[in-house]
Amino acid sequence: MRHKAPLIDALLGLIAGVGLVALYAPLLATAAISFFQVVRVRGALGFAPFSLDPYAALLANGEILAALATSLVVAAVASIAALGLALMFAFYFVSARRGLGLAMQTMVFLPFLLPPIITGLSLLIAFREIDLGRGLVTIIIAHIVFIVPVVYRTVLVRLQLLGSSLTEASLDLGASRVQTLRYVILPQMRPALISGVLLAFAISFDETLITLFVAGSQTTLPIRLWAMMRVGFVPEINALATLILLFTAVITFAIGMLQRAGERA
Amino acid sequence: MQPLLHLENISKRYGAVRVLEGIDITVAGNEFLTILGPSGSGKTTILRIIGGFESIDGGRLMFEGRDLAAVPINRRPFNTVFQDYALFHHMTVAENVGYGLKVRGRPRAEIATRVAEVMETVGLAAFGGRYPAQLSGGQRQRVALARAIICEPRLILLDEPLSALDVELRAQMQRFLKSLQRRLGIAFVFITHDQEEAIALSDRIIVVNGGRIEQEGAPEQLYRRPHTPFTAAFLGENNLIAGTLAAVDGPLCAVDTPAGRLAATVDGPAPPTGSAVLVAVRPEHVRLDAAPMPGEGLTADVADVRFLGANVMIELRHAALPGALLKVRRLADGSAAGLVAGQRVGLSWSAGDAALLRAGPAPAAL
Repeated sequence: MRHKAPLIDALLGLIAGVGLVALYAPLLATAAISFFQVVRVRGALGFAPFSLDPYAALLANGEILAALATSLVVAAVASIAALGLALMFAFYFVSARRGLGLAMQTMVFLPFLLPPIITGLSLLIAFREIDLGRGLVTIIIAHIVFIVPVVYRTVLVRLQLLGSSLTEASLDLGASRVQTLRYVILPQMRPALISGVLLAFAISFDETLITLFVAGSQTTLPIRLWAMMRVGFVPEINALATLILLFTAVITFAIGMLQRAGERA
Repeated sequence: MQPLLHLENISKRYGAVRVLEGIDITVAGNEFLTILGPSGSGKTTILRIIGGFESIDGGRLMFEGRDLAAVPINRRPFNTVFQDYALFHHMTVAENVGYGLKVRGRPRAEIATRVAEVMETVGLAAFGGRYPAQLSGGQRQRVALARAIICEPRLILLDEPLSALDVELRAQMQRFLKSLQRRLGIAFVFITHDQEEAIALSDRIIVVNGGRIEQEGAPEQLYRRPHTPFTAAFLGENNLIAGTLAAVDGPLCAVDTPAGRLAATVDGPAPPTGSAVLVAVRPEHVRLDAAPMPGEGLTADVADVRFLGANVMIELRHAALPGALLKVRRLADGSAAGLVAGQRVGLSWSAGDAALLRAGPAPAAL
């Protein structure tokens, strides 16, 4: 039985409300300013009327669009490749001897757990040692290295939840290992596969620090934005931030829905 | 006649733990064979060895004279009904049932026809389009059965398939399993820890305990003529009275017990006189007389009279048998009405109803 304490309830509600405002106000302000630009009218600050000019400017900004395209390509390629690797690692973990599996798992997690500056630097040194010039390929490799753990974790949890009885049932009914994987295991894991890829995509999309080390002349969106902010503020940044916000919100929502679907299955 | 399946002297260990030792089982082509044992007795391991899910450390597994050692799970002509059913939840009932044919690359039309037939057989004709999550426990059970029989196996392995069902549904499924096995005319190897279920279903029962076979035989034979204390205590209820074998006359034996000399019948050759034995008498075979009969049976004091519906169970104590509670079962027809706790009564039985057992290790607590 819950005690009735209206004062404490109200206080907790207030704290939660202030917390939420503090978290979301800057985001909402950015979105608002992308439609109503801040202008200086006779020395005082004010809002310009509603306009989509920043969005138009964004579409006309070739550099930003190129960076955006790079980011999307990197995130897409890296997250699909990471999915394949994560699946192999997860299957290895559930079938290998415990000690070997744990050793493999530690190696998979390490690049994600290390400070990004160390991971980035190590990758840079490694690429130089093997004479791999910095560019799209190095960015993609670096992203795969640090998003594999995320996908691996999601995939492994689901795989362990599945247990061995479905595999045994499938083999018992005459299916081969490959058929079992195709008809039983992968379909049962689909929610985990999709949410793992989406999560990896989101992380890859806004990764900055490691990418800084391994990107050559080809820049991703976060790096482009960071570079732009150093030289001055342009309105299209607000528009871009708002679009990314919207995009991320949709992905997060989708991951949430998929994970709930996965739990129900 | 060559048996369908022969487990020859099979042993299995997990690390240093022996889980099976000297398991020798034959399965005939169309029998309902039950492997009965308490949890941890190794019965599920036997089933998993037949199915190919576990390797063996000793012995051979022969199918129609061929060694199955090198035959993987998916090539064995057996199908399994798993304890948790292991249905594929992302497939419809019809897809689940047709899975075995699909992976064998049968044409779609043939699969559809066979699925319809088998669904009819298990009484689920109208449920093909549903998903397993939309079915009741008993229906899922039938799907698991349908999925196993569609592959036309020579043998079906059933791992405690009824343990998750409630009492009424279980009785209904028992009848269904039995009739299905008769109709299909193939062998069923059924695993259970429920002795009533084993007796009701089986042509033959193999009692396992501690990774070894205790005894095998037809249900009635095991019930009437248990050979080991474990079988005597595990199948139904038994009064076990320890003593020393005093004299043997053909199958008839006299046993000296703390409660006096008792008569029993031995099945097969008798142990040498002087050896430690047990007299096993079913509660329903004990006669109860208001006054003790001189020179026959024993006397005991009524400890409790429990009404069990159709039966009355009378529990008695004997001063010379401390710790042991003797049990007598009577039909609840009023014949036991006058009994009160503390009353001294006479117990007796025909020698033919008392089985002589070699005293082995104490029966596991039940």
